[in-house]
Amino acid sequence: MTASTLLSLPRQEPPGRVGELRSLARTTPGVLIFCMVGAVLVSVLAGVFTAVNVQSRAAALDSLANRSGELSVAAQDIYRGLSDADATANGAFLSGGREPANVRARYESDIAKAESALAVAVAAREPADLADPSSPLGVLSAKLSVYTGLVETARANNLQGLPVGAAYQREASNLMRTELLPAAQDLYTTETAGVAEDQDDAAALPIVEVLLALATLVVLVYAQRFLRRRTRRRLNVGLAIATVAAIASLLWVVVATIGVMANVNASRENGSTQTDVLAQARIAALAARGDETLTLVARGSGGAFEERYEKTQQELAGGDGLLAEARGLASAPDVVDAVATATEAQRSWQQVHTAIRTADDSGDYPQAVTLTIGTDPNGAATHFDKVDEQLARAIEHTQSAFSDEVSQADSALTGTVIGVILLALVTAGGAVFGIWQRLKEYR
Amino acid sequence: MRWRLAAVAVTLALTAAACGTTTGAVTDRQEPTGGAPSPAGAKEVTELPAANRDDSCDPTASLRPAGPPPAPRAFPGGSTMAAIVARGKLVVGVDQNTLQFGFRDPRTGNINGFDVDMAREIAAALFGDRNAIQLRVLTSSQRIPALKAGDVDIVVQTMTINCERLKDVDFSSVYYLADQQILVRADSGYTGVDSLAGKKVCASEGSTSLAKIVNQDVEPKLIGMQVAGWTDCLVMLQQNQVDAVSTDNTILAGLAAQDPTTKVLPGSLGQEPYGMAMPKGQDDFVRFVNSVLERMRGDGTWTRLYDQWVAGLLGAGTQPVPRYRD
Repeated sequence: MTASTLLSLPRQEPPGRVGELRSLARTTPGVLIFCMVGAVLVSVLAGVFTAVNVQSRAAALDSLANRSGELSVAAQDIYRGLSDADATANGAFLSGGREPANVRARYESDIAKAESALAVAVAAREPADLADPSSPLGVLSAKLSVYTGLVETARANNLQGLPVGAAYQREASNLMRTELLPAAQDLYTTETAGVAEDQDDAAALPIVEVLLALATLVVLVYAQRFLRRRTRRRLNVGLAIATVAAIASLLWVVVATIGVMANVNASRENGSTQTDVLAQARIAALAARGDETLTLVARGSGGAFEERYEKTQQELAGGDGLLAEARGLASAPDVVDAVATATEAQRSWQQVHTAIRTADDSGDYPQAVTLTIGTDPNGAATHFDKVDEQLARAIEHTQSAFSDEVSQADSALTGTVIGVILLALVTAGGAVFGIWQRLKEYR
Repeated sequence: MRWRLAAVAVTLALTAAACGTTTGAVTDRQEPTGGAPSPAGAKEVTELPAANRDDSCDPTASLRPAGPPPAPRAFPGGSTMAAIVARGKLVVGVDQNTLQFGFRDPRTGNINGFDVDMAREIAAALFGDRNAIQLRVLTSSQRIPALKAGDVDIVVQTMTINCERLKDVDFSSVYYLADQQILVRADSGYTGVDSLAGKKVCASEGSTSLAKIVNQDVEPKLIGMQVAGWTDCLVMLQQNQVDAVSTDNTILAGLAAQDPTTKVLPGSLGQEPYGMAMPKGQDDFVRFVNSVLERMRGDGTWTRLYDQWVAGLLGAGTQPVPRYRD
């Protein structure tokens, strides 16, 4: 830089510097300096960005394993607990007098399960997320105790032989059906969407990572070609190490990501997709059971419940119903077997239901009640329980398949973040070392 | 001292506000509203036709029986009774919520009461068997549609005879005479319709009681709250969602018996003659039912059933005198 340029053109200092850099770029040491800086910048950047991306993939997997996965299970437990509690409470009402101890125990355990799952769902949120009382969790938290209060009032009145107990039971059931169950359904939809989102994040294509790694390689290859021409030395050890490290990083990331993608897709196919269909089937079976009971509680004016029962059974067991869909999706022999047994039990249930309707419609109400809530091995209760148990068994299986795949995916990423950063440092260090060796010769 | 307290309060409020904003949205928390949920189908009546003003007919004059009822199962071919006997059971529309008239005993699950036993007497006259009966539980508003659709042969469900209903169904002679009264919480201080002006009063949807409540001559008008069944009204009264329940003393006495903190106010809003309702156009069946009622008046069956079910609630009662047309 000359004094005259400084004095006469102070404002053109930047172009002057650019010009200077340009002239520097025409010299060999200049090019080498560019290559060195470029290699360091690109490899460090690639390392940082790749590490960040791998980290967010790992975070999505962690969420699948510990948060969204658990929450969707909790939402399912809430729905199932509430729905079964309502059907059980209505059934207990049908039996007349003090309900059998096992019926009461079932109701209590349903409520306990639903409340404990609700605690899990609530604990996963920030207080601000619960600020809206009309949000699903707001409704569930505020109204579940109202529901149980009404059921206990109904029970106390029933024990004293007062017909107002039935009115409390109806009010409770109405609260369950119009507010609590829809809120639980919303929650389930939201939480399953969370699982799908995490799966998408965990299985995203590693485009940024691959592009950055390729950019690093381009710079390194260019520097080596340049040096080979100018210095006639075949091998620059530093740059060679840098290149090997960059390739290793690329391969590591690509192989790990492909592994993750395969596991996550398997967690969908063998896990969450099947779980969702099975859970819907279980919910449909519960809803149908509830309507079957309410038809009898309504005693002759339960036509609307019976219609809904038929519709729900159609959704459950029709030609393209949920059971058929679950069967089509099932991959593990245990799931295939459970779904087949559930389908069979559903058919027997439907046969008993026809007998129940015949008995009720012809005026044999006591027989209809016995067939519906009796503990007879050929009663509707037994068949429904079997459907529910088998679907639960299938769900347990698909959920453990889901967890297995997610934890395998997680282990595929073990050490990748540290590895990528270390390899980036090796790349940068190798490039600096290798180029500095040549640069020294120009001093 | 007061200033200092105020200063502390303001500081606390500001701190709270500041904390609220830093932790995000906790101060935006909306108060959840408590309170009991409503029974299914409960809603305020905003508009109701001016019912019960129809006096175009003589409602309580029913068809005169053609002598005493024939022997069971011995009915002329083609008659309504023969058709019912051939089918096997008398299908009766009843209530399951009205203590002592038609109610489900929660301890046994069976539906019993004065109305149910009255229906059993009709079944006995038809089949020679009190149990040849199939009960269908109806809400007040389902009674006439069920008769019109042929879902039930007869409705015995504290049903008031009036000209409006006579356009859709036929009634037997009067088998019970009730009064519309008001049920309140005993400590509420309400004394009658005037003190309830502008308050919420519950009645069953499709009942004559509901129409009478909203048409009471007070300002502001009573607010009618309609529900599916009478016990739903008691639930709403117990949950402080309504101020009173108004319907026939028969039904109110049954509600009051289930809650000792309530009382029935003295004073009648009007008489409610109960009849058994049958589909329109079955004159032979109406005459037959009237002949059975006539026999029950004579042989003490009515008094026996009244004493068994109703006397405990309402004290001694007298059976209404039937009126007939030919």
